[in-house]
Amino acid sequence: MNNKEFERLLLTVQKPGRYSGGEINSVIKDKNKVDIRFAFCFPDTYEIGMSHLGMKILYSQFNAREDIWCERVFAPWLDFEEVMREYNIPLFALESRDPIKDFDFIGFTLQYEMSYTNVLNMLDLANVPLKSADRKDLSPLVVAGGPCVCNAEPLADFIDIFFLGEGEEVDLEVIDLYKKHKALGSTKTEFLREAAQIEGVYVPSLYDVTYNDDGTVKAVTPKGNAPTVIKKRIIKDLNTCHYPENFVVPFIQIVHDRAVQEIFRGCIRGCRFCQAGFIYRPVREKSAEVINRQAKCLCENTGYDEISISSLSSSDYTELEPLLNEMLDWTQQNHISLALPSLRIDNFSEELLEKISHIRKSGLTFAPEAGTQRLRDVINKNVTEEEILSTCKIAFAGGHTSVKLYFMMGLPTETDEDLKGIADLGQKIVDMYYAMPNRPKGKSVSVSLSVAVFVPKPFTPFQFEPQISKEEMERKQAFLKSCITTRKIDLSMHDSSTSFLEGAFARGDRRLGAVLEAAFKKGCKFDSWSECFDLEKWNEAFNECNLDPDFYSQRLRAYDEINPWDHLDYAVSKGFLVREHKTALNEKTTPNCREKCSACGANCYGEGVCFEKR
Amino acid sequence: MRNVRIFYEKKGRMKFVSHLDMNRFMSRLIAKSKIPVWFTEGFNQHAYMNFAVPLSLGYVGLYEVVDIKITDDGYSLEKLVDDLNAVSTPDIHFVKASESVMHTKEIAFAEFNLSFDCIDAKMVNDFFAQQSIITKKKTKKGGIKDIDIAPLIKKAELNGNELTLILTAGNENNLNPSLVMTAFYDFCGTKPDFYDVTRTMIYDKNLNQFA
Repeated sequence: MNNKEFERLLLTVQKPGRYSGGEINSVIKDKNKVDIRFAFCFPDTYEIGMSHLGMKILYSQFNAREDIWCERVFAPWLDFEEVMREYNIPLFALESRDPIKDFDFIGFTLQYEMSYTNVLNMLDLANVPLKSADRKDLSPLVVAGGPCVCNAEPLADFIDIFFLGEGEEVDLEVIDLYKKHKALGSTKTEFLREAAQIEGVYVPSLYDVTYNDDGTVKAVTPKGNAPTVIKKRIIKDLNTCHYPENFVVPFIQIVHDRAVQEIFRGCIRGCRFCQAGFIYRPVREKSAEVINRQAKCLCENTGYDEISISSLSSSDYTELEPLLNEMLDWTQQNHISLALPSLRIDNFSEELLEKISHIRKSGLTFAPEAGTQRLRDVINKNVTEEEILSTCKIAFAGGHTSVKLYFMMGLPTETDEDLKGIADLGQKIVDMYYAMPNRPKGKSVSVSLSVAVFVPKPFTPFQFEPQISKEEMERKQAFLKSCITTRKIDLSMHDSSTSFLEGAFARGDRRLGAVLEAAFKKGCKFDSWSECFDLEKWNEAFNECNLDPDFYSQRLRAYDEINPWDHLDYAVSKGFLVREHKTALNEKTTPNCREKCSACGANCYGEGVCFEKR
Repeated sequence: MRNVRIFYEKKGRMKFVSHLDMNRFMSRLIAKSKIPVWFTEGFNQHAYMNFAVPLSLGYVGLYEVVDIKITDDGYSLEKLVDDLNAVSTPDIHFVKASESVMHTKEIAFAEFNLSFDCIDAKMVNDFFAQQSIITKKKTKKGGIKDIDIAPLIKKAELNGNELTLILTAGNENNLNPSLVMTAFYDFCGTKPDFYDVTRTMIYDKNLNQFA
């Protein structure tokens, strides 16, 4: 198809800017002068994928090398997919508009389980065979990284190589090895066998999985000399690690349409439900000086008028005050607004508070996650009711009239008392507002409570726990609803059928690959979009494959059961997770990494918070 | 403080950028170029910009106009154009900058060039020869009303597969060529074919080039 016809078709769909390419700072190279072509695929829409920092980092890092041309690919929205299928347009990369099936690498980032069908759909749109075994040639190699790789067994049939942990180093090592094998004319098998020797590389086809009669995993056996345990990679020094000087700046508005500056990786908190808090260990910081320099450079090169600092818990950054002081100086001078997501500002100096007060206020949000202190101790979430109430008080006095609180439902050991605690906390905030003599005059308060369903994830202390059943969830939702007696409180509990599917895939095994493929063939895609999600089709897919989603999600797992992800080493030992699980059931908290080391195992890299002076 | 009128071309992949997105794009470009632009002084401070006539999504524009204000009166306009081009994409090319001569309210007509894969010349001539051309237009309030577009068409000339149209433009009675084409295809009784649209010029009421 020529360019003219293609562009005319683009004008028949919504938001053609999603597919047009040509954005400022997008990288165009001469394809005859590069050795490696890499299609970086985000299995969701442009607006979501373009907001993802990891993609920006790797895009910039790959393209910094003269011999690699990395291009972006997103899942086409339904309207454009229809056009692509009707006019036989194979999935293409935005920069060159070349079909990605001719690329050396097709790389996916797996950020959430509900994007798995999009991975299959994108391969299908690219005219690439879905299964690794059906792709006999050395290229295209289908590779994947991202947090879901910590249990990517449901995708094991489709992906040639998984990258465990942070990709900056390991991706390039694999690309270099591939370059060598491409020149030698090696077969795919020869290449994969050697690639499996690189730390952080998991080649699922080199492992046989056997099952017990009860359906649990019996053994995961490596073939040949593939390693028995695959260890995740981390970047030891973030100060010298590549960080983009430039982002591709989209034309259409995306979800996070701003410059983003990473300040550290990992999290010291160890909230027991939070996968990110465990799989990104150990905490490693960038120096304030480097952050400031990189952030400034990014703003100058993109022209963005907003920059946000990014980490799992920015308040825990050790040099926060000097950093903000520096950043506020040049951002305010240049009409750039500095976004400070979820910062605790209670211990800031007067001077800094004064500076921050000029920042446009965003909404007031808290994530207590659970309604009672008992349950917050179980999940190790160190937010107390007093903290929430006192911060609300300051905010109300300052003119705020609305506050948003996030909770989870279905946490281990949860009782109706804990659920009632959610409503009670909302009520306490309302009561406090009306008890304040200096509240904003003539305005009503609005407290919104948002309650999601808890999904147990691998590599967390709750990986052994069952997820609640749909019936139990419905009962709990009805109960919670009955606890709310004022219209000042807005309770939102969206329909959570996706949570149950997410639960099955999060802790699923290789056999779910067949379910995934069956669901994809029935037309499942964009499962995280409520307008596309079709539970009926998924149930049919599970039935056809004789598998039960509840087996994966709603079963209490014994400590000695072999989990589908137990051959992957994310530097938190199973022994630690068992200890944490027991501590949780005893309603005891665990101090954060800076207070006391809990011997999770992440000190094995010889870097990070584990080696800070306490 | 000095008012500056900037003329640029919007083409290639940039034709997929809507007017609203173009606003954001331009303010980022100005920020990158570091030209001494004047910022508004209200609650939401931003670089002052005023686009003369919005261009529809999908159209190429060869005579696009945006007004800005600069704080440094001595800043050379040649340098300003170079500064912008240095940070722009090839698909937004800045042609010149000058003092504004006319007010944007004076814009009365715009010239478009439509190119077709093939078009029936007789049908075209018959269509534009009509005394009145009634077509349905969506109103801003969501309704549909009948309007006569014949008086809004100043000129229509066919050369091979290229149709040149001069249509009324500006705040009142702005006529989009797509509406003309919808009416044309209704007249022919066929489904719209693909065509490319380029806005080549904007004029005042005497058909003087907007300056």
